[in-house]
Amino acid sequence: MTRSFAVLPCNGLDKSAGCIAREVALQICEAGESELICPVFYRLAEAKYTKLAEEKSLLVIDGCATRCASKLAAEKGLKISEKINISEEAKANGLALSDGLRLSAAEVEFARQLAERIGQETKTAQQAVTEEKLKFPAELHFQTYAKDKFLFKIPDNAGFYFNENDVWAYVSGKKARIGVTDFVQHSLSDIIYFTPPVVGSEVEQFEETGNIESGKAVFEIISPVSGVITAVNETLIDTPELINQSPYEKGWILEMTLTAFSDDRDLLHEFAGYYPVLKRKVDEFHV
Amino acid sequence: MSESTFMGVERSKIDWSPRIDYAKCNDCLECDKFCPHQVFAVRENETPKLIVKNPDHCVVFCRACSKTCGPDAITFPDKKETTAHIKEVRKEEESND
Repeated sequence: MTRSFAVLPCNGLDKSAGCIAREVALQICEAGESELICPVFYRLAEAKYTKLAEEKSLLVIDGCATRCASKLAAEKGLKISEKINISEEAKANGLALSDGLRLSAAEVEFARQLAERIGQETKTAQQAVTEEKLKFPAELHFQTYAKDKFLFKIPDNAGFYFNENDVWAYVSGKKARIGVTDFVQHSLSDIIYFTPPVVGSEVEQFEETGNIESGKAVFEIISPVSGVITAVNETLIDTPELINQSPYEKGWILEMTLTAFSDDRDLLHEFAGYYPVLKRKVDEFHV
Repeated sequence: MSESTFMGVERSKIDWSPRIDYAKCNDCLECDKFCPHQVFAVRENETPKLIVKNPDHCVVFCRACSKTCGPDAITFPDKKETTAHIKEVRKEEESND
């Protein structure tokens, strides 16, 4: 059965990626019950689409990394249910996008396949590929640093490690749980979207492992450790705001089986090393 | 001001900053608007308009500005090589202590 969305695409008149976004949106709407939100009209007169945006799940189709459609959704306070980025999809499929605004035959076919896939895809929970469960502390103990109206919390429990990219790892035996620090969630403010990494994939230390997004920016989650991803926090897909509310507990990002922790540890801090780094960042950058 | 060290290594010893492909850059300046560390500078009436002015202000391993780049004109050095270099410098400095 074809899924039904309120579809908010890129306007599609700046470059070919946008034109493909527009084409994918049209095809999804023509194939089923989905309905289109015109981004230009929506910006000027949102009342026309208010009911639609409330009633249906929102599918955002960005053309390129400028993410105009995502930013518009954030500006209007819409909850994004699913999103795709045409440039990233094209890259993943080895399709070189053309320079003009008229779609090539290959781009038309690409749009058709993408629309078909999105229309039929079902959200299934990724299977955790682990047997052993990570033992996470029942209670965390926090130390804080206050700046203006903001309070930054950092756990000082043994087993927590931090990279200077503000991502934490809680390590227990061969397993680790990973998430972002309070500094990240304060800096991004309201997190509206979580792009999870693929369960089963292998990541190296300092490689991107998914991203989170607010109206302000996209934040790459830079893995503090190397390993194989065994689980992602599926609840963040529908409620990414948990990262704001509880970055060390309910807002955890993923779990992995470690592959090189003794090496990775060289470039990680424990609480005592990270606390001054965080203070410096807050003092220098936080506004 | 930006951070002066990364994992105890002097920032100036780590080559990590965005590279702009001017053949692709369209001067939209989204990267500059995004980056809170003043890595880029915009020069009105000059070519190129956008430059990497403060490479050492760039947060090591951060590639976030490239995500804002519509024409995909920003790249970064190789992560593995950078990681190995940082470890090497730390080792050297430890043995000098």
